[in-house]
Amino acid sequence: MFDDRRIGMALAAPAALFVALAFILPVAVLLSGGFATPEGWGLSRWVEFVGDPLAREVFWRTVKLGALVTLACAVLGYATALAIVDAGPSWKGRWSGLVMLPLMISPVARTYAWIVLLGRTGLINQAITGLGFSDEPLRLLFTETAVFIGLVQLFLPLMVLSLVSALENLPADVVPAARVLGASWPTVFFKVLLPLSREGLVIGGTLVFTGSVTAYITPAVLGGSKVLMLETLLYQRVSVHNDFASASVIALILIAMSVVTHALLRRAAAARAR
Amino acid sequence: MSFMHRPLKWLAAGLALAVAALPALAQERTLVVSAFGVSQDLLRKNLYAPFEAKCKCKIVVNVGNSADRLAKMEARKANPEVDVAVLADFSALEAATKDLIEPIDVSKLKNYGKLHEMAKDPIGNHMGVGYTYFATSIIYRSDKVKIDSWRDLWKPELKGRIALPNITTTQGPTMLLMVDKAWGGTTPDFATGIQKVSEIKGGVVTFYERAAQVVQLFQQDEVHAAVVGRFNWPLVKKLNMPIAWATPKEGLTGGINVLVIAKNAKNKDLAYAFIDEWLSTEAQTRLAMDLVDSPANKEVKLPSAVADVLTYGKETVAGLNLIPPTQMLLRRKAWVDGWNAKIAR
Repeated sequence: MFDDRRIGMALAAPAALFVALAFILPVAVLLSGGFATPEGWGLSRWVEFVGDPLAREVFWRTVKLGALVTLACAVLGYATALAIVDAGPSWKGRWSGLVMLPLMISPVARTYAWIVLLGRTGLINQAITGLGFSDEPLRLLFTETAVFIGLVQLFLPLMVLSLVSALENLPADVVPAARVLGASWPTVFFKVLLPLSREGLVIGGTLVFTGSVTAYITPAVLGGSKVLMLETLLYQRVSVHNDFASASVIALILIAMSVVTHALLRRAAAARAR
Repeated sequence: MSFMHRPLKWLAAGLALAVAALPALAQERTLVVSAFGVSQDLLRKNLYAPFEAKCKCKIVVNVGNSADRLAKMEARKANPEVDVAVLADFSALEAATKDLIEPIDVSKLKNYGKLHEMAKDPIGNHMGVGYTYFATSIIYRSDKVKIDSWRDLWKPELKGRIALPNITTTQGPTMLLMVDKAWGGTTPDFATGIQKVSEIKGGVVTFYERAAQVVQLFQQDEVHAAVVGRFNWPLVKKLNMPIAWATPKEGLTGGINVLVIAKNAKNKDLAYAFIDEWLSTEAQTRLAMDLVDSPANKEVKLPSAVADVLTYGKETVAGLNLIPPTQMLLRRKAWVDGWNAKIAR
């Protein structure tokens, strides 16, 4: 756009400087705490964390939940995004607005709303007992299922919006072209739509996974604190143990999980493209 | 909890900025108080505003949970921003061991003599003075169950109907103290208590993080019994449900909150005047009448309707089973680790 590349660099400089000073530097200082030991720099905190069976158990539980939420959001997200892109220009804006609406409500309020819905006397249990599926209200609230539902609802909009922006950039005639050539609907999706919108899936998947593994309030409130997750373990290390060093180890693991997920999704997408 | 405090933090930061930016106009001095986020509106009405009128100074409040606020005080150790901090007894002791606070010269507090014995020197060496107590017990639906012992939480009819505090809350360890005692535990690691809680883990609806949640749980008929602090009782009573406060035969537990002065505080004279004001019979009465805090001042006289919902009276206060702050500081990590190993998995 600019003849002189320096103009572009100069325009980016203030924002870059701000991010460096206000984000990258403090995060680096915080995370370096995980490598500080009483004897100087070292990996002893890491050895301790990896050697602790409880920490490993918590790690895998967190990964599993993040992966399940991301998968559910991808499936639901594709369905919703295809419907939105298909709706035509005037409705597209309205549907996207509706998808975005929950993002404007605080996650705390949204999480508390689930307590009302999933409770013993909540809407869902009233329906279940009212329709005669069960005599006793089911225990839905304060279970892993509740955490799963809460997280999917929390992060689904991010997936839908990423997929919508990827799908709407596709040429309008790719689907009719594939159909004319005799492709079935599943083939159209897996061979045409999915490969062409993979960038959106990579971005949406990274956002959803990162959000799910780092969420604190939703697992704490909807899960009833019955099982530890990495972020609740981090909270304990800071608030009770006053141990910022092992908290930074957990923080770095959470960041690394997001980066690795992003890289894996990107690789999977690239493999499909070949 | 911090999400609730953010607007207040910004407000406090804004106020601090406004005061700093107007040195010419702001001749009056500023006292910085580090406090819990709860009931700040009522504290302003009943304590800060009357004090500001007397001292011709301005009170700026930094709110947050104890861990956040202690970390901030530690970061500003060389150049303390805070003058007075409001902490749970064990957090105050932690501040003392980190050399963040200094002994209080109680001869400068004219209301000191009016305090209950237990409030006079709760953490030793006069590093803090107690300003309030709270009892912790079991509240229960009196139409569904009868509770006169901490062991009654194990009654089969309460399976799937109880809420207990999570170990990271202030109530968590105090509950373990009583459960351990009720089941004959003898070791300071509360092994018996943790084992007993793990046996009913599946029947616990939730290990709550925020006490305010308990009110909702009763309202929605999720639970029939819960372990809570007395400070939650006024809200529970407002539900107008048949809910009773248990007096278990093993006794009640609870905690003390204290006021401390930051080491090398910049406004020490104001800090002393403020603490004295907080301990005064007038301020303690006003705060009790609005159900903010139970009084530590034994001269406070309350109508029975108010006394009934607070932790009030010499016998009640003297009968509380408290975890000594030294024990809490020494053992809390081990209790959390024991909890993680047996319960949270």
